[in-house]
Amino acid sequence: MICYNCGCTLSEHDFCTNCGVDVSVYKKVLKISNNFYNEGLERAGVRDLTGAIQSLRQCLKFNKNNVEARNLLGLVYFETGEVVAALSEWVISKNLRPKKNIADDYINVVQSNPTRLDTINKTIKKYNQALLYCHQDSKDLAIIQLKKVLSLNPKYVRAHQLLALLYIDAEDWQRAERELLRCEQIDTGNTTTKRYLKEVNAMLHPEEAEEARAPKKKKKEARGEVLRYQSGNETIIQPIDMKEPKGVSFSAILYLLIGLAIGVAATVFLILPARIQAVRDSVSEQLKTVSEQLAAESATTNDLQQKLDTLKRENNDLYTEMEAYVGTDGTIQTMDNMLTAVNGYLQNPEDVEQVAAYLESIQNEVTLAETSESFQAVYQSLLTAVGPRVAQTYYDDGMTAYRQEVYADAVRNLEKAYIYNPENADVVYNLANAYYRNEEYEKAAVYYQIVVDNYAGTEKARRSASYLEEINSMQ
Amino acid sequence: MINFEEELKKFHPSLEVEDAEDAIYNQDMTDMADLVVKVVKEYRGFEEEAEE
Repeated sequence: MICYNCGCTLSEHDFCTNCGVDVSVYKKVLKISNNFYNEGLERAGVRDLTGAIQSLRQCLKFNKNNVEARNLLGLVYFETGEVVAALSEWVISKNLRPKKNIADDYINVVQSNPTRLDTINKTIKKYNQALLYCHQDSKDLAIIQLKKVLSLNPKYVRAHQLLALLYIDAEDWQRAERELLRCEQIDTGNTTTKRYLKEVNAMLHPEEAEEARAPKKKKKEARGEVLRYQSGNETIIQPIDMKEPKGVSFSAILYLLIGLAIGVAATVFLILPARIQAVRDSVSEQLKTVSEQLAAESATTNDLQQKLDTLKRENNDLYTEMEAYVGTDGTIQTMDNMLTAVNGYLQNPEDVEQVAAYLESIQNEVTLAETSESFQAVYQSLLTAVGPRVAQTYYDDGMTAYRQEVYADAVRNLEKAYIYNPENADVVYNLANAYYRNEEYEKAAVYYQIVVDNYAGTEKARRSASYLEEINSMQ
Repeated sequence: MINFEEELKKFHPSLEVEDAEDAIYNQDMTDMADLVVKVVKEYRGFEEEAEE
């Protein structure tokens, strides 16, 4: 503390030790100023900016030279968006103490950046314009202007309050509450903000307002009722008795496990059997189709196999038949022999032996019954033409061999004679005798029977019958 | 219930930067200390006159 008279530093006495003036009251005034400063500092610390401004202004009323209080006041003004008021306090502070004053730095922060200064000026002008619109009843324009102001200076408390007032007048309680909550965040001790908030809450939550007016009576009624509060843009309605779960509880895990088990059971018992059945049906269908195809293929295969066998047989028969006709040199030997025989007879009808040879070869190669009618006709014609003479020749040769008792040759020649002339009784009878002499009794019996049947009543027939009896007795 | 017109009256135009200079000059810087000093000086003057 400095003496107001001589400027000397004061001691703990109530008078100046240098000039002797009474400084007791002066000291008290300064102490009161310092008390207000401390109070203002404490309020600023808890963001009660309105209370801090009041305390600091009181401080300065007692002692205008309190530079710290003035600097703090400027800071508080700056925080509430009152930039010009802040600059004023800092300028005065700088004039009171030109050196080692933090107000220099504060002023430089604002004035060093021209853009910032220009923005501040624009903000103030727009705010004043918005206020003018309000007075002119152009509330929509005022709202637009104030939104621009707050976009430039979000901490401007008075702009927030004016905008909230406009919303309240328009009964837009949600938006008004939002603006007022922002105000409260900046300046917690502002009575205007609190008054507006009370009005808005009364409109938004009338039940809480009634409870606040008569809390004792309605305490019991609150039980079982709901609690309503705002969370941003949403109204939360919560039963009072409800307790919010803290973290993940055991019951939550249990419910989760139960739900999981139910889900698995539903899948196993409801969904899975249907899917399995569908798959089985599909497989069965496919199996059926494959089986049908297989059966059809088998039937086709069997049919083809049968056809193959038949064709093979026919082929073999044809091959065999062809072989009979073709012979070793590849030509139809039988036909060739027939033609040769015919040619030989036509050339020399007397050379019956040559013709007979060809006819015999034909007889050995084929079965006449299986040949064509024309072939058989030619054969019979030739046989008729040359037969009797050939038969006679063979008969003579056979009888010569019979007399010489060469019965094998006799049989051979007489057989040929029979072929060419089967109607001759002598041939048949002597052939039977030759078989008999050659001890071929069965064949002998055959020819003896022919004689008996065809030439009954003749001597030959009688003899043949007696030979037959003899043969039958031998068997 | 809040009356819009009444509340609006409480809002005053904000000082612009150009007006800050005038505002500073026009500020009444008299404080309590000045008043005390003034009173003390007047009291001392009365005392001196009485002695004479």
